[in-house]
Amino acid sequence: MERLSGSQEKPWRGYFSGCPCMKVLIVDFGSQWTHRIHRTLKYLDVESQIIPVTTPVKNILPADALILSGGAIRVGLGDASQVGNARKYLDKFQGPIMGICAGQQFIGLHFGGKAQPCKVPEFGKVELFIDEHNDLFEGLPDKFTVWASHNDDVVGTPGFKVLAHSKDASNEAFKSESRPIYGCLFHPEVEHTEHGSEIYANFLKIVKK
Amino acid sequence: MPFSPEKFISEAISSIRATVGKSRAIIGVSGGVDSSVAAVLAARALGKNVNCVFVDTGLMRKDEAATVKSSLARAGVKVEVIGASKLFFYALRGIAEPEKKRKIIGERFIHVFEIEAKKEKASFLIQGTIAPDWIESGAGLRDTIKSHHNVGGLPKKMGMKLCEPLRELYKDEVRKVARALKLPAELSERQPFPGPGLAVRIMDEINEEKAETVREACAIVEEELELASREGKMERPWQYFAVLLPIKSVGVLGDKRAYGYTIAVRAVESIDGMTAKASRIPPDVLERISERITRELKEHVNRVVYDTTSKPPGTIEWE
Repeated sequence: MERLSGSQEKPWRGYFSGCPCMKVLIVDFGSQWTHRIHRTLKYLDVESQIIPVTTPVKNILPADALILSGGAIRVGLGDASQVGNARKYLDKFQGPIMGICAGQQFIGLHFGGKAQPCKVPEFGKVELFIDEHNDLFEGLPDKFTVWASHNDDVVGTPGFKVLAHSKDASNEAFKSESRPIYGCLFHPEVEHTEHGSEIYANFLKIVKK
Repeated sequence: MPFSPEKFISEAISSIRATVGKSRAIIGVSGGVDSSVAAVLAARALGKNVNCVFVDTGLMRKDEAATVKSSLARAGVKVEVIGASKLFFYALRGIAEPEKKRKIIGERFIHVFEIEAKKEKASFLIQGTIAPDWIESGAGLRDTIKSHHNVGGLPKKMGMKLCEPLRELYKDEVRKVARALKLPAELSERQPFPGPGLAVRIMDEINEEKAETVREACAIVEEELELASREGKMERPWQYFAVLLPIKSVGVLGDKRAYGYTIAVRAVESIDGMTAKASRIPPDVLERISERITRELKEHVNRVVYDTTSKPPGTIEWE
């Protein structure tokens, strides 16, 4: 058996070249759940590859979509310097992008928002309230339970619209108004998040467009 | 596409054959579903060229060695039991720091395997490592949550090459493979048990006496929750056990002052071990567990508490 594409150790070798299927790259910010994103996509029939943040920009350009994982880095407290080429990915890659947790904070920070420690951090169960049902939360209830694990959040990103909030976090999900860029502060890839796989399926629908 | 255990089995068998080739291998089993599945796959792939070893660290569950031997025998795998409890307790004496414990245990396991490999002229070590093991062990940007003995606990220099056929799987997928391999239910449905064993259920320093106490307490928690689920009072939790805390409190036993340790009961709902929620145990079941632990272990324990933490922020085991 070839090592499945999820292994973080596998160096980039143009895995997708010649493959007609959808190509999603998961940029690994070091989350405990990065590999869960890979598994969620696999169950949705989409092959993905986990890549390190040091991957050269030219290698990510052929992808159909990027997902920036969560991670222990605190982008609002200076750790954004650890994410290698990720800033360049946001500038150069024009396809759909989704950021999760630290990935979302990094996107918000990059486009002019303020990443900061939250007043009340969220670990484990969180009730999510949907403000905008449009593409990412299409067909989902107005509120449901999700799982989170974060000390920080990001607010006030110019040109981004908030799509969901919780009691303690005003920006649980957002999207750019000019580019297909999305972010979730919670983790749709874990089992305890309700409708998580549907959120990824909705994102993949956006990718297919 | 949902996970296909049949496809996985055929790919894993050819991959083990391709990796190990004509060499000999040993496989370490713990009695958990991961290493049992890896052992059956290895036996199918390599036949007589693999030897299956169970290291009794003295930090195993009650009657573990005998249970493992008989269940794996029914799955067609012969297990050699190596008694090594003195070695482990000696190496762990005076060690309280959880990461140190885990690394010492990982290194001792390899020490025992290397002796065995030398005897068998084996050059490969097959392990039942699954995704959460290497994820939580950390690397690069990924923080080390805990060094799993079979990944982060491995010594830097090893005389054997590794083969880890289950690296990409999570527990729920391993169970699907176990069912497809027709492993006995006591293996395929068995609750997870950490590689370092009871060492991570004894907070602070370890000794034989504490190991015995927490082993008995774990057995009580298992018996009572399994009974409650058979009686339809609750679903059997995903993982359920006792933790011995180094906290002493005052009690009164038969009009006499007592000053003993505390046991924390832990039971969680999960699918893959990467997120978890504390189980809602009916109060009468919790009471029964508390009564049994404080009565049967009265020399050591006079207080029982229930852990209500999710993962995150907690982890399932305490260390």
